[in-house]
Amino acid sequence: MDVEERATVDPVGTREKTITVTVNGDSYQRTVSVRHSLVDFLREDLGLTGSHVGCEHGVCGACTVLLDGEPIRACLMFAVQADGSQLTTVEGLAAGDELHPIQQAFWENHGLQCGFCTPGFLLTTYDFLREKHGVTEPEIREALSGNLCRCTGYQGIVRSVQAADEAWER
Amino acid sequence: MGVKMVGASVRRMEDPRLLRGEAAFVDDIRFPGLLHMAVLRSPHAHARILSVDVRAARELPGVLDAFSAAELGADPPGIPFFYNPESFRPAPQYPLATDTVRYVGEGVAVVVAESRHLAEDALELIEVDYEPLEAVVDAYAAIQPGAPVLHENAPDNVAATMVYESGDVEAAFAGADRIISKRLDMQRYTGIPMETRGVVGHRDAVTGEMTIWASTQWPHTMRTVLAGMLAVPARSIRVITPDIGGGFGIKADFYPEDFLVPFSAGRIGRPVKWIEDRNEHFLTIAHSREQIHELEIALRNDGTILGLRARHITDCGAYQRPLGLVNASLAGTSLGGIYRVPALRVEAVCASTNKAPASAYRGAGAPEATFARERLLDIVARELGVDRADLRRKNLLTPEEMPYDTGLVSLEAAVILDSGSFPAAFERALDMADYAGFAARQQAAREESRLIGMGICVYHQLTGTGPFEGGSVRVDPTGEVTINSGAAPQGQGTATMLAQIAADELQVPHDTIKVVFGDTGRLAHGMGTYASRNAVMAGTAVVMASTKVREKALALAAHLVEADPSDMVLEDGYAHVKGVPTTRVSWAEIAAAASPGGNRPEGMEPDLESVQYFENMAAPYSYGIHIAEVEVDPNTGVTTVGRYVVVNDAGTIVNPRNAEGQIAGGVAQGLGGALMEELVYAPDGQPQSTSFLDYLIPGSLDVPDVEIGHLETKSPLNPLGVKGMGEGGAIGGHSAVANAVADAIEHLGCTVTRTPLKPATVWELMRSAAAAPASAGPTA
Repeated sequence: MDVEERATVDPVGTREKTITVTVNGDSYQRTVSVRHSLVDFLREDLGLTGSHVGCEHGVCGACTVLLDGEPIRACLMFAVQADGSQLTTVEGLAAGDELHPIQQAFWENHGLQCGFCTPGFLLTTYDFLREKHGVTEPEIREALSGNLCRCTGYQGIVRSVQAADEAWER
Repeated sequence: MGVKMVGASVRRMEDPRLLRGEAAFVDDIRFPGLLHMAVLRSPHAHARILSVDVRAARELPGVLDAFSAAELGADPPGIPFFYNPESFRPAPQYPLATDTVRYVGEGVAVVVAESRHLAEDALELIEVDYEPLEAVVDAYAAIQPGAPVLHENAPDNVAATMVYESGDVEAAFAGADRIISKRLDMQRYTGIPMETRGVVGHRDAVTGEMTIWASTQWPHTMRTVLAGMLAVPARSIRVITPDIGGGFGIKADFYPEDFLVPFSAGRIGRPVKWIEDRNEHFLTIAHSREQIHELEIALRNDGTILGLRARHITDCGAYQRPLGLVNASLAGTSLGGIYRVPALRVEAVCASTNKAPASAYRGAGAPEATFARERLLDIVARELGVDRADLRRKNLLTPEEMPYDTGLVSLEAAVILDSGSFPAAFERALDMADYAGFAARQQAAREESRLIGMGICVYHQLTGTGPFEGGSVRVDPTGEVTINSGAAPQGQGTATMLAQIAADELQVPHDTIKVVFGDTGRLAHGMGTYASRNAVMAGTAVVMASTKVREKALALAAHLVEADPSDMVLEDGYAHVKGVPTTRVSWAEIAAAASPGGNRPEGMEPDLESVQYFENMAAPYSYGIHIAEVEVDPNTGVTTVGRYVVVNDAGTIVNPRNAEGQIAGGVAQGLGGALMEELVYAPDGQPQSTSFLDYLIPGSLDVPDVEIGHLETKSPLNPLGVKGMGEGGAIGGHSAVANAVADAIEHLGCTVTRTPLKPATVWELMRSAAAAPASAGPTA
């Protein structure tokens, strides 16, 4: 496609669709560009900047959110694909002033340093512990293996998950 | 003294915001009318630029601006360098390539548009005519005659050669029983923080200041450099560091986009943001570590080191930015480690290649030198038939020899080991790891056809570099304490650490203190966070400022209760006359008295704030012993790291859990470098490691729990007795793991001489060893 043709037939960024999503219990209707990723939509359209963009190719896990209860990489999905879904992001974990037991456990056990990867770890942990009790260290390491952290060497995170397993009444 | 917070392992004040998703990283900062910048990058490793045409890009709806180097003026500003050794033939990087591109990813043009999507669409409309040139990607090849030349002022591709020498090297080698030589190579790898870089520029309509939020480790430096490049007074620029998602040294650099964003914002008159994507990150972030070491060691038969002679070639990539020569220099001056090396000569050669510019990454030269030395010592032990622990024992410096002046001066500082108990730390680590019992375990494992190995690494680390750091402590008239620091941390827990330090002086609860970092509008001078300098430099500045505030507060309180200042004490957030708690005065009352118009002693200046700068060029050295235990799968070459022991001595530890977190995180990065991380380039200069799929960083299944023991040999160089320690894990981790892999497989008849020890590499080593006669073992 030559330059001139491209500029006229491809009205970039103008193809849009209206979607409705429920995020952390609140319903939103927004018109979005069809090429907007879900994580960009959460961050830019809804202002929920707790979900972080670490790689945009689905490896690092910093953008992990729950979509209809399942953990997904919000960088690998278009916002329009989430139409009609229920989403949980890191902003939805705490109950007002009270941190979620997982968040509290990360705080008490040095489960974070720079904190950039942390929202993804929290949601991965939430999904992992929701239906499991008494998890072992190998199980924890396996469960966290899809999230990358460059600061902690993981041992603080592993301890945090162990502590959350004990503290979270579920 | 009342409550003592220095040394307390308290949880971090930083965490609740981060845990709630309420932090503000640079990409979380937005303004009405914010525009987005995208950079067109060279697809060629080396090419002449014949023309750049941005006209079509400018026409695209939503595009505000597009330009190439042509619009930076006839004499565009280059990024400055901070060191000028005598032999330096500088090759500065310009914000955009002018007439030649010298690495894949080098910026050629930019577009600024209403969205990042639109800006990237417009990049595709820019026409660049390149004439490809031959590229050179291997540093050794680059400095041979006839290699493609990167810069006219250095036809041999040598940007600088620095020589570090102490003692009589010729005599040491002439009198040696044994001389052992080896070439050891460390690969190109780097920090790869989870947050990429990013810059937002916004001209403040009221003050006219260009305000910049940047994911940087040195905001004040960024302001100074930018003011120079934009040719405006420093007061016209304010740099603020938001939350930073990891840095590890690579954000202590000045990159082209750090200029292009404010330049664009100024040109257009609207706020502009650029967030590096992960692909750009792999292409353009400061790469590091890549060094070739040619080593010769002179010894007595009993293993006593007489001398060390080395040449190392640092692959500096295509240009030198501010710290571009630091790795080469520090690798030269740290080669001797904490051993008695009576004579040493290192020639540090800085080679230019068609790869991304290299700079400092966690350890900056120390991991490279440590690998060279610690791997060499294991090879020496094997050749001399002595135990590798005994070899190290014999040559470690003793406390009686402290302080130990090596006679060397790096680009950063004179190398004087200020303090340490090296033999004690060494024995403790051997005990923790059960070194004595390992040989039997290894033998038993081999009888089961299992390959296990133990690796030792002894390292030291330059920390807390000068020339200064700033800090202010102020108490508002309502009693709240705020610290402003020139540091710009990226996850170290520095706010908590500084609050603990101030809490001891002021006797207020540490978690009521607000700590603000890296804002050039709040503190006139600052340096930043790199070179493990937060506790040493920022910490001491806070000690100085809080001491001043404390003294003034006691004088004010004494005045209010009509007592003598020397009779006053601070306790639980109040001052009172010693032994008479009923005389107590709160910080709010004291600070209110200090306010202009308040009730002060005659002649006392108003306000309760102190701004202090700790000026110091004498850098403390911390050190540590790492011992790793690994198992290598004989069928696949996959290495699993099992036990991992660290004995760390960084003087006074302000917050043990922060310190241990730094060690564990550093070890993970060192392990990554030993086993998996590598920025690979094809022979034509095309980068091969441009995503997390082909550049592996350690995950939760790769990293062991680290068992940590502390020694606290206080540094005499600062009032807290602290030494920095944030980089040590990465220095020790690389070589401990590499030596452990070597220990697991070298009996087969091979020698480990390079990293990373990826499964395929280890498998090849084992296979070639099996095929070759053991006496002529191949090297990798």
